[in-house]
Amino acid sequence: MTMPTLRRRGTALTAAVLSASFALAACGGDGDDPGTASGETRTVTADNGAVEIPADPQRVVTLGNTTLPLIDMGGAPVGVTEVSDSELALIPETQQAAYAAAVNLGTSADQVDMEQLASLEPDLILAQFPASEFEQVQEELEAVAPTVFWGLDVEWKALADGVAEAGDVTEGLSEQKTAFEDKIAQIETTYGAIIADTAFVNLDRWASSDPGTFSIADFGCVEIAQGDLGMDFPRAAEGEDPLGWTSLPFEQLAELSQYDVITYPVDAEGDPTESFAPVVETNTWQALPAVESGRALGLFCPGNNSYGPVLQYLDSLDSALATLPATT
Amino acid sequence: MTTAPSVLRRRRPDLGRRRIVVRRGRLGFRIDLRSTVVCTALALGVVALALVALTTGSYQLSVAQVVSALTGGETGLVREIVVEWRLPRVAATVAFGAALGVSGAMFQSLTRNPLASPDVIGFSSGSYTGALIVIVLIGGDYAQVAGGALLGGIATALLVYALARRRGAQGFQLIIVGIGLSAMLDSLNTWMLLKAKLEVAMAAAAWGAGSLNGVSWDQVAIGGACIAGLLAIAGVLSRPMRQLELGDDTAVSQGVPIAAVRLGLIVVGVALTATVTAASGPIAFIALSAPQIARRLARTAGITLAPAAFVGALLLGAADLIAQRIAPTPLPVGLITVILGGGYLGWLLFAEARRRL
Amino acid sequence: MTTLAPHRRGPAAVKAAGPRRRLTGLIAALAALLALLVLSVMIGSTTIPPSTVWDALFHSSADLDQFAIRDYRLPRTVVGLVVGVAFGISGALIQALTRNPLADPGVLGVNAGASFAVTVAVGLLGIRDMQGYMWFAFAGALAVTFMVLALGSTRRGRSPAVMVLAGVCVGAVLGGAREALQLTDPDAFDAMRSWNAGSISGRPLDVVWPILPFVAAALVLAFAVSGPLNSMALGDDMAVAQGARLARTRILAIVAVTLLAGGATAIAGPIGFVGLMVPHVARWITGPHQRWILAYSILLAPSLLLASDILGRIVVAPGELPVGIVTAFVGAPVLIAMARRSKASAL
Repeated sequence: MTMPTLRRRGTALTAAVLSASFALAACGGDGDDPGTASGETRTVTADNGAVEIPADPQRVVTLGNTTLPLIDMGGAPVGVTEVSDSELALIPETQQAAYAAAVNLGTSADQVDMEQLASLEPDLILAQFPASEFEQVQEELEAVAPTVFWGLDVEWKALADGVAEAGDVTEGLSEQKTAFEDKIAQIETTYGAIIADTAFVNLDRWASSDPGTFSIADFGCVEIAQGDLGMDFPRAAEGEDPLGWTSLPFEQLAELSQYDVITYPVDAEGDPTESFAPVVETNTWQALPAVESGRALGLFCPGNNSYGPVLQYLDSLDSALATLPATT
Repeated sequence: MTTAPSVLRRRRPDLGRRRIVVRRGRLGFRIDLRSTVVCTALALGVVALALVALTTGSYQLSVAQVVSALTGGETGLVREIVVEWRLPRVAATVAFGAALGVSGAMFQSLTRNPLASPDVIGFSSGSYTGALIVIVLIGGDYAQVAGGALLGGIATALLVYALARRRGAQGFQLIIVGIGLSAMLDSLNTWMLLKAKLEVAMAAAAWGAGSLNGVSWDQVAIGGACIAGLLAIAGVLSRPMRQLELGDDTAVSQGVPIAAVRLGLIVVGVALTATVTAASGPIAFIALSAPQIARRLARTAGITLAPAAFVGALLLGAADLIAQRIAPTPLPVGLITVILGGGYLGWLLFAEARRRL
Repeated sequence: MTTLAPHRRGPAAVKAAGPRRRLTGLIAALAALLALLVLSVMIGSTTIPPSTVWDALFHSSADLDQFAIRDYRLPRTVVGLVVGVAFGISGALIQALTRNPLADPGVLGVNAGASFAVTVAVGLLGIRDMQGYMWFAFAGALAVTFMVLALGSTRRGRSPAVMVLAGVCVGAVLGGAREALQLTDPDAFDAMRSWNAGSISGRPLDVVWPILPFVAAALVLAFAVSGPLNSMALGDDMAVAQGARLARTRILAIVAVTLLAGGATAIAGPIGFVGLMVPHVARWITGPHQRWILAYSILLAPSLLLASDILGRIVVAPGELPVGIVTAFVGAPVLIAMARRSKASAL
């Protein structure tokens, strides 16, 4: 049987039985046993409260930001919302294949083709997108399958834990967690002295940045360097907007002289990212003391909401710190 | 003095006045007959579209299943899809489309400018600002977004009216003040979108484009009731509205209380658009194009409400069908209304120009 | 009385100033523009002493502050000047041509054409740098204007009212298509967010030179048609009686509008409000004299743009606001105040 129970309706039982019989009638040829024959369930908790989900979900649909974390931990969703080409380009090919194998249900979570989603007959829906959008589609999603939802302000580790638990990919998660902790410990031992007394600053520029501007970024992979490694990066005062929201004009690059080391985004080959390249090309950048003395480090950040990409970031940070010239 | 929407005829201004007067006399009989025929045809079109929308979709259902679901013979997902997903959506396209068409007709008549719609007095920009504040800055839920939109839109409309009121809220002043305030709010909106995270910005942009996704019976019932009441008032205002088109002096001499009628037109026009916006986001261009298309189809001299309502419903229904069933990936319906309404109006203009060669 | 052709009996809006006062006003506007040009080089998000500014311009060396002046502030001031002049003139022409207060260059679909072309370049062709997609913007603006021109024509000539509606239609269709493209391609959406705001920062001077000949040609054209446009303001028949050639004047004016607005949009993105507001203000000062309106627009439009840009550098320092966002906040209150003061429609 493939149809979920309709928990929110009084007629849950009847509905389940009838919809199951319909599902069988409608796609008679589909003999796959989805493997939930036992009908066992378990309960997980997320931003939309406690949700009863199949013990062993077989057909998972991921909406919004849950797609890449699930795939990263070895999951294979049957339906997804679109991931931008620039993000896809950064993940391993096997993961790209897993994404391509899923049905594309729409560009963003609020534009999902609900009927197509229903016809995929999922037994679990994982979703992370703005809460205001979820309000709008919650009833429809829950009519199709148990839905586990997180808002945008959930921390990435909590999201990874939650996705792993609900999507039943905890094995992949625990491997990644061990690797992560090992890497953190190794960086801390190797570069303890540098981390302790270096003033870092992390710059970024995005496709959406106004020409002639950059940002001092305090979100993204730098949060890991800051939070897990204790590196000294500027951060916004309590209760203020993140620093990265302010786009600074290029002439503000001159003010960066006060920092020892500058970090900036590079692609997998180590070249400045396409968005950041205009900064590197300025005369001001080239005249900065940190840049002239080889203390500008390019870091590769393929993503920061699951352990796989974060590990790649830490590798990149590790090799970049190794190139720092000794302090005089 | 001619009625405003005959701007297209003013290309021969020296002859225009006399001829139009003569024509008006002759047209007296023909307007009604043609309007009735056109309205009937449009209504049939709306019904046909509704049937198509109910029986098609990416979840395969037979016509028999749909009928059985509508008559209460189905339960579970089939009932859910037909009764809770497809039906309210169809009802929404009809009610909302009609509301937008009438609202635009009122504003074009009021300002005597074919480019006018409630957007002119800043309503859309204001409601988008309200919604963006809730989405981007507060991260509120759906009801709060609707509330924010309503509040923002109405506050802006009131402000524009108050600022332009000194000389009795004439069309021109309304337009200029509306442009000014809209421009400021648009700037604010762009800035908020620029600040927001990509996914939040895209969600907000989709709302801003106008989408009927997730329209529920609650929204359709409340919205429909408001719209029905407002359309009734619109019916009452329609006669003095036509008299007002003849010019203030003429209208006064015919005993029309012009200040009251103007205010009434603005309030009802804005309220109609506000109702739709609260439920679905600002659905663009129907208010602007429906009255123009209706006038050309019915060949009436001025703006009339009923054909505009039917054209609005037809446009929105067709647009939603295209957005859901034909586009490669589901799109906000507001994008399709723009393309459809704009394209069709453009074609009508082209045909009209050809006819006169 | 329709707003589309009100002047036939419309009283002049404000008491039009006499020739001498018009000239004094013009000189004052010129002085204001010059002052703003200087301020635009002096003021920025970092504090640089005037002596360094002087050195940067006349005794250059490889100093961080000098780079700021030469590489960022000077180019953006020049860009602001060129773009401002172009938007101002194109707005004045299009309002004179269509006699519609809602008209700005956007009404002819210029912005929509440029935006659509840029979205195609960014989204489908993957072009991400300014020098690459500015030509798309220019080509898009040109293509759309000719479409509108064709759609709004009849054998008897071109009716401004039909042309405006046609422009709005084409603009709406392209705008919808552009948004659809953007919403289905998150990458393109992201890249277009800043272009849509309209800005003059971070443009190298190389971007300006190729557009400059077009702008210059269009300026000459604008003044050439200002006489016939004056006659046309009195009504088509009056204009014909005075010997104006309607069709030729309209086409020349539209070519000028497209070159100006297309070029400016290609460089700065869609900054709509300047072309809309400045000619209104100019008309209120000078009365209905096209040459004077053009002359005032040439000075007032870049002033508005530069003042807004300077303000955008100060209000959220050390950050910046794109100028397209500030212009409306600076200009709209002025426009509203003047609309409230003036007696009737002023076109």
